[in-house]
Amino acid sequence: MLKSGLGIARRALGRSLSTSAHEDWDIVIVGGGPAGLALASALGSSQLVRESLRVALVEASDLSKIREWTPAEGAFSNRASSLTHKSQTFLRDIRAWEHVDETRTCPIEDMQVWDGVSDSRIEFSSSLLATELPMARMTENLNLQRGLLRHLANVPQVQILDSSRVQSIDHPEGSNWPLVHLDSGRVLRSRLLVGADGFNSPVRAFANISSFGWAYDTHAIVATMSHQPRGAFMGPNTTAYQRFLPTGPIAFLPLSPVASSLVWSSKPPLVAALKASEPDVLATMINAAFRLPDVSMRYLHDLILDAHASGSPLAAPQVQAEVAWREKSHGIDAMSAYTSIRSTVQGIPPADAELLPPLVTSLQPGTVASFPLRFNHIDSYLGEGGRTVLVGDAAHTVHPLAGQGLNLGLADVECLSRCIEQALTNGGDVGSRTALLPYAQERYLANHKVMSVMDKLHKLYSTSFEPVVWARSVGLEVLNELDSVKTALMMEASGKDTPASPWDSAATVVENLAGVKNVVGTSLSSILRAVSSRSK
Amino acid sequence: MFAAAIRRSSTRALVARYSTSTSSVNPAEIAHFSRLSSEWWDESPSGEFSFLHQMNPVRVRFIREKLLEVARDAQENPPLNVLRGMEVLDVGCGGGLLSESLARLGAKTLGIDASEANISIARLHAAQDPGFASSLSYQHTPAEALLAESDKRYDVVCSMEVLEHVDNPTGFLDTCAKLVKPGGHLFLATISRTALAYFLTIFMAEDVLRKVARGTHTHSKFIRPEELTEFFRTYPNTESPWVRGQPTRTQVEVRGMVYNPLSSSWILAPRDAWGADGCNYVFWVRKPNI
Repeated sequence: MLKSGLGIARRALGRSLSTSAHEDWDIVIVGGGPAGLALASALGSSQLVRESLRVALVEASDLSKIREWTPAEGAFSNRASSLTHKSQTFLRDIRAWEHVDETRTCPIEDMQVWDGVSDSRIEFSSSLLATELPMARMTENLNLQRGLLRHLANVPQVQILDSSRVQSIDHPEGSNWPLVHLDSGRVLRSRLLVGADGFNSPVRAFANISSFGWAYDTHAIVATMSHQPRGAFMGPNTTAYQRFLPTGPIAFLPLSPVASSLVWSSKPPLVAALKASEPDVLATMINAAFRLPDVSMRYLHDLILDAHASGSPLAAPQVQAEVAWREKSHGIDAMSAYTSIRSTVQGIPPADAELLPPLVTSLQPGTVASFPLRFNHIDSYLGEGGRTVLVGDAAHTVHPLAGQGLNLGLADVECLSRCIEQALTNGGDVGSRTALLPYAQERYLANHKVMSVMDKLHKLYSTSFEPVVWARSVGLEVLNELDSVKTALMMEASGKDTPASPWDSAATVVENLAGVKNVVGTSLSSILRAVSSRSK
Repeated sequence: MFAAAIRRSSTRALVARYSTSTSSVNPAEIAHFSRLSSEWWDESPSGEFSFLHQMNPVRVRFIREKLLEVARDAQENPPLNVLRGMEVLDVGCGGGLLSESLARLGAKTLGIDASEANISIARLHAAQDPGFASSLSYQHTPAEALLAESDKRYDVVCSMEVLEHVDNPTGFLDTCAKLVKPGGHLFLATISRTALAYFLTIFMAEDVLRKVARGTHTHSKFIRPEELTEFFRTYPNTESPWVRGQPTRTQVEVRGMVYNPLSSSWILAPRDAWGADGCNYVFWVRKPNI
């Protein structure tokens, strides 16, 4: 609200300056995040585009920091995404993937998803698919961005204007061609303005596109976790794990044999308390969150919250003692994989070791961070009158429980660059509504489908209400036995020839279970109503 | 026998209209489009010409692919930007939808229209776009006057969605054909005179859905594709007509254009798709190389 008010003021200011000389561009992309850079790369990889269009990318920050990013061996950024087949294929097609350091990425070959209340479980494996590629590949966002920048270094036709802040956007009287005013005083007039400028998109404010959405009462905590390598008798660290706790899902995503990425969604006070506690406490809590029954997790949550509120946070030994006591009272065998108070794994691993992620030994310093979760989707991908289009997070923000945000953004970019090439082939104006309409039609529906699945999934699993837990658990277990159905689900969402993201498949599985919650809820309440009216 | 009957009656239809007037320009039609001229570039679904905007990429694709096909007959690997450097005339250019696209593909394009208002709008719109340096120009003139005033002839003459609005189709076709260089191309797009066309373009588009202004189309002025082919069997004379024998794809081609309301887009029907040319269609014919 405040933001858009500011936008109007800026626009008014901009109009008075708009008489100054401007440069003519065909496409101006605002935002140098993964989506903006991927669009610039995709356009730059097309000969037709290189020959016929002038493309500029404007970014407020200094991109040389990303260009020269040289992380220490074994250290990983806390922002990593599971790139689906489709995303990887697209990045290969535009010849950007060859600039990504593949040794820093990690394939996901298997996936284990289970219910935190009932422990019912579904497993996905790449071996179900008749393809040699893994289901997905964990890639640090910085690694991808650096690769895209390296790719763009070979494409002089695409100009990158970094360390340039957009001061205002307006258009001259009687014309719908946007004028982008930069803080350097340069004014770019563009045939097509692309907003790849994130959730608080200034381009969206300029184009006057409204959005709908809500913030979940949930924050996510991310970190890079160090752990022991898998034992000699076990597979490599290529399995992703996700446990749905009633407070939110916790995910373990492999980055290397001894490092993995954490995404843990939970209630905001708990996230704040966990983030504030010392790293060893958080590591112990992560191990427990994959292993202890829900009732004990709730107890531990309260313990952490109370200690945080009283200003005397718990020390790691206290929490470990509490976890050990709880394990004993639950009858968890000290030799099973479900015990988390054990520093090393040696010899023959327990039989159930593959069902759980390796024990976290420490968190990489400086990688613990948190952010609020929200659901947001714009009403239109095109600005009124054409010449403005939004991609990536500027268009949609999605619950990260399936790591889909970046994949959706890359799918937007793939579609938009295809539409632009199509328009060029037919002599179209790439900023016209006619050229951009196919993009808006294709992506709005596709994104909306995935986003609503994520939303339903979140709601379905945030309850410990018995009938719902029972229904979703039975559904999950039955499906788990049907390999052919699982394969079909894995292949479905991403089209004919490339399998969907594993998260996406799991989401599709439980999407159908989401209906259960409503059915159970309504029938129970009608029974209650009937009973209470009779007693009157 | 049946085909021959159609041939005779269609020739009669063309001749009958030819005899009523000698100029092809219909003053009422010009007034109608002049009134709507300010709406030419409104691409929104409520815009008067939104159908044309959606149809335009399909028409351009047909032109480009046909020219490419002809170029491939002449040489092994012709450049893909086949229109680059070609002299193109767009007769009845309206707001310049087609002219701009052809100019963007590198053709030296002249758009002409009998309505002064249309030409003003077309010029105004093109002036906003820095992409057209000298590749695009407009002139307010009927085709007949252009033919009379200069000897300039064109590689490609296009007249899209115009034939159904002229008074004197044979005279108009004759003018367009004369403006084509030997070995050059004539592209037309229009609407067939069928019950389906009446239902879709007049009853639905104008009366029910009100997507197109009432009075835009007159069913009796529609021309069937076989009538056009027939015309060029005897044009310019029976000894050396543009189309002879069983027409081949190197002489003449008709393709239907079908609207898909779900995706609000047009589809170029495959060759010989049965019934696809029952409403909107594109027509191409090549002038013999003498």
